[in-house]
Amino acid sequence: MDEKLRRTRPERLSPSWLDRHKKTLVLLSMAAPTAIWLFFLRYLPMGGIVLAFKDYKVNPRNPSFVSNLINSDWVGLKNFEFLFKTNDAWIMFRNTLAYNAVFIVLGVVIPVALAVMMNEITKKFVAKTYQTMMFFPYFLSWVVVSYFLNAFLDAQYGMLPAAQRAAGEAVTNWYTTKGPWPFILVFANLWKNVGYTTVLYLAAITGIDATLYEAAAIDGATKWEQVRYVTLPHLRTIISILFIMNVGKIFNADFGLFYNVPMQNGALLSVTQVIDTYVYRAFMVTGDISRSSAAGLLQNVLGFICILGANTIVKKIDADSSLF
Amino acid sequence: MKKLLAMLLACMMLVSLLGVSAFASETELEPVTLSIWFHGSTVTPDASEKVMEEVNAYLQEKINVTLEPIWGTWGNFDEATVQALAGGDKVDIYFTSNWSANEYNKYARDGYWVKLDDMLEEYAPHLVELIPQGIWDCAVTNGYDGMGVYGVPALKDTATQICWDVNGTLLASLDYDVDAVCEAGLDYYSDEFEEMLQAAKDAKGGDFYPLLIEPAVLERMITHTSLVTGDLNGANVLSYYYDPEHPSKDIGSTIVNKFGTEEFAKFAARTYELAQKGFISPSCQSPATANDYRTATQSSGEYLFSTQSYAFGCELDYAKARGIDVRMVPETAAYMDCTSGQGAMMAISATSPNPERALMFLDLLNSDPKLMTMLNYGLEGYTYTTNDDGTITFIDEARAQYSPWTNGMGNIRILPPTDAQGADFYERFSAYYDAAETLPFGGFIFDATDVETEGAALANVWAEYAFNLMSGAVDPETVLPEFLQKMEEAGINEFVSAAQTQLDAYLAG
Amino acid sequence: MTKKKNLRLNSVSLGTEVVIHIIMAAFSLCCIIPFVFVIIIAFSSEESIRAIGYSFTPLSWSTDAFSYAFDKLPQIWRSYFNSIFITVVGTVTSTLMCALYAYVLYRPDFKYRKFFNFFSFFTMIFGGGLVPTYVVCTQVLGLRENYAALIVPLLVNPFNIIIMRAFFKSSVPLELIEAATIDGSGEYHTLFRIVAPIAKPGVATVALLNALAFWNEWYLSLLYIKRNKVLQPLQALLMELQNNVQYLNQMAGQLGAAAINEAAKMPSQSLRMVLVVLIVVPIACAYPFFQRYIVAGLAVGSIKG
Repeated sequence: MDEKLRRTRPERLSPSWLDRHKKTLVLLSMAAPTAIWLFFLRYLPMGGIVLAFKDYKVNPRNPSFVSNLINSDWVGLKNFEFLFKTNDAWIMFRNTLAYNAVFIVLGVVIPVALAVMMNEITKKFVAKTYQTMMFFPYFLSWVVVSYFLNAFLDAQYGMLPAAQRAAGEAVTNWYTTKGPWPFILVFANLWKNVGYTTVLYLAAITGIDATLYEAAAIDGATKWEQVRYVTLPHLRTIISILFIMNVGKIFNADFGLFYNVPMQNGALLSVTQVIDTYVYRAFMVTGDISRSSAAGLLQNVLGFICILGANTIVKKIDADSSLF
Repeated sequence: MKKLLAMLLACMMLVSLLGVSAFASETELEPVTLSIWFHGSTVTPDASEKVMEEVNAYLQEKINVTLEPIWGTWGNFDEATVQALAGGDKVDIYFTSNWSANEYNKYARDGYWVKLDDMLEEYAPHLVELIPQGIWDCAVTNGYDGMGVYGVPALKDTATQICWDVNGTLLASLDYDVDAVCEAGLDYYSDEFEEMLQAAKDAKGGDFYPLLIEPAVLERMITHTSLVTGDLNGANVLSYYYDPEHPSKDIGSTIVNKFGTEEFAKFAARTYELAQKGFISPSCQSPATANDYRTATQSSGEYLFSTQSYAFGCELDYAKARGIDVRMVPETAAYMDCTSGQGAMMAISATSPNPERALMFLDLLNSDPKLMTMLNYGLEGYTYTTNDDGTITFIDEARAQYSPWTNGMGNIRILPPTDAQGADFYERFSAYYDAAETLPFGGFIFDATDVETEGAALANVWAEYAFNLMSGAVDPETVLPEFLQKMEEAGINEFVSAAQTQLDAYLAG
Repeated sequence: MTKKKNLRLNSVSLGTEVVIHIIMAAFSLCCIIPFVFVIIIAFSSEESIRAIGYSFTPLSWSTDAFSYAFDKLPQIWRSYFNSIFITVVGTVTSTLMCALYAYVLYRPDFKYRKFFNFFSFFTMIFGGGLVPTYVVCTQVLGLRENYAALIVPLLVNPFNIIIMRAFFKSSVPLELIEAATIDGSGEYHTLFRIVAPIAKPGVATVALLNALAFWNEWYLSLLYIKRNKVLQPLQALLMELQNNVQYLNQMAGQLGAAAINEAAKMPSQSLRMVLVVLIVVPIACAYPFFQRYIVAGLAVGSIKG
């Protein structure tokens, strides 16, 4: 009885409790499905982060994951050592950062330019056709893309070496010549992702209130001025958000691009090796999950620091566009 | 309330008592379900259901087991088993080996497999009998519970021999006496070898590449290095030292960095020379295209010499498939080592609730021809038919839906021979493999745990140089010293000396 | 002001538009050619690939690989169904969940907005890794050997939540929400009847991203569908074949003759491309459906008078 009394008391004392909190409760109910999902599929597994500091072994007496995790020995930072073992370690960090930096900058400039241009095409049907075609590379996996590129560059069957042979020139072996690869990789990455990103900006442009353009036009703004003073400010939020999020992934390279597109050729490794391919190659020979976890954790921590930095910068420039 | 509970308890006890007496009177073994994870299967769900129905009827009668197979494929086995093992899935038996991701020795060390020594006599008497001691020795590894057997090795092609695969049809058309050439053997460094390649190239045109190589195999075959079990998986850097004049005979007690030997320098220089002369296709020199190209070129017979890690009787299959005369010219002797001894095994998972029953199943699988044939080849009348001479003929349509990896399952010597193999195949097969020479370091397994950091770095250095050097894509004059330098930085010396220390201890004990 | 006048006044000059067309056409062509290439290989004969490799101009044509795909892979139709089922159910559910969550984050008057914002954002950067996630999915949530295992793990993507919120923010003025609240519109009603219709391009974009994610997913099947292979989606079937070939190739040195025998059984190179075609075509056909909402308002800004 006591219990029941206690439970009903607040309501009786303040009958508007439900009313006062109704909005919050309803909003909470809306957030609930995703929040519950995040809890189970993202937060619960985070306990596994300790893997990075353990020498994971199975305890045959009680071989469940949690018991294994608890029983495995702590090894401190030993699992991180392999990343810095060779003198080439800096090469993969350099490659990862440099490529991602280029991807981030061009990945904003080009899609925004394309989206703005597309918005100016008067024939809607044509614009749609372009847009559909630009999206196609996104459907193809990196493995398929690598076959495609190989059709041009293959030393035996490729079209470029064939052309060189026909012209009587010395045949280039593209897969052992480092020089062009930074450009090839940047181009391949843009080619694959531009269509996808353009859609985001295009959708944002579509959401702009048409009357703003009319007002600008009446005020005598040229097309360029309209883009500058109406379109771009509207895209600011989404540009900043994509920028911040990409900065957070600056230590994570697109594995498929760097592993498959250069056809895994060793001679190109100094321009194609990134953290993810290094970790993968190490994992293939050692099969050690602790070490992969360690590498992943390091990438995440560094990414987190970068994202906080990027967010602060954006916040300084435009508080509304920051992520949090 | 209490009354209700008491009644419930009584009921439960009664039921369990009844249950116990019921099965005690019927059969001694309680029914269990065993799951077993195979490698390299091409089995559709429908075909599996059909075959398993009969397999399980038979198994229930024999050992009261219901088998639940997981048909791992070549492509997904590694990734899926690593997750399942680390996550503690309840699977009873896993395929394992020294080349798959759930590497036998490492996983034994980390506690994933059940130690079998104390159970073998009781639950697997046939297995103890049937598998030769030399192969059992290879299964002994330093696991979580000390030295012992942590998996059941498969009795399959248990020796290693590397041969030249010679296109006899093409060689004959170049006016060579094929039998004489094959009899004399091929010398990679000789002028005659080069002349034959040149003759083939002249006859077939500039786009023809007579020397079809698989770089890692070519390297092992020419320099006569031998794999050290426990070396980096897929990026081998170690070899036993040997006397190049007497390969395979005087294998000593020393482990070396195989890329640091004089023989390797000589081999790399020769391969580069042959590649420069246009005998090796550029497609063979790129890791991503090499294999598709090799498979396609082999099957069209557009080569003169190729490299082949030999399996007994494979030349017959190849000749039939390629429509040419295929000859195998041995370059190394056939020897039994743990590379082949651990090539396919079945291990019982630490998570298995019924390890004894799992072992009983493995015992039956390896000793009962009916069970092995059903699981491996399918059902008579569905996937194959039996001929008068005891051989079987596959019904291609159904066999395509049900083809587990034959050698991965266990004792293949109890299978009926196929019509292509001929009725006496397994007699000849056994004779060949049983005659194989056993090497003194037979059972040595290198435990690289303490040098894994070096191993991880070495694998990446390997990826940068080794393939190109072994395929003749780069000039060893400049690249080999660079490679050795980087290996040193990555810790090859620590890696080699760790292996050497362990080998010394092994040979002393 | 007449429509015509406005058009001229407020669009780029003809010259500029021609330049735009040239740039767009060139880039679009660049994007579509590889797919044409894939189709050509799918129809190339195996002999041609053997003789001259992958080429835009094969020596001879063949539809063998297509008939092989449909004859020899009885699973293919079932996989098609699985893929479509997973994509439809997954896209609807995930887009709905995303919209609900993004709406909550979009409301500045929500008390715990900051918390929930960080709650989702944090998971973009930190995760427990594969194995712990696998353990939670299989052992806590029972996601194995069922459709749920192929849908649930992909339901939430914090990236999409942030995108969706950005779209809400930029296209729906807050005054509208306030007005709706005063009119007595409930939160759900406000979201579905007022906010979502206005932010239609955003919702469609997120739905498209979700649909692609579900359609392209193959790794979940590798992890969670082992015994009950009839549930395998199409992409997983393709990746399995692809991986089989790749693996045998990598392992040829270790496996020796066994690998060669197995590799000979593997599908031909043209078959691999056939499977790419079979996967891309359906989703490419579904694309215009989403695009209708994304590009609907395009150019309207400059024409509407």
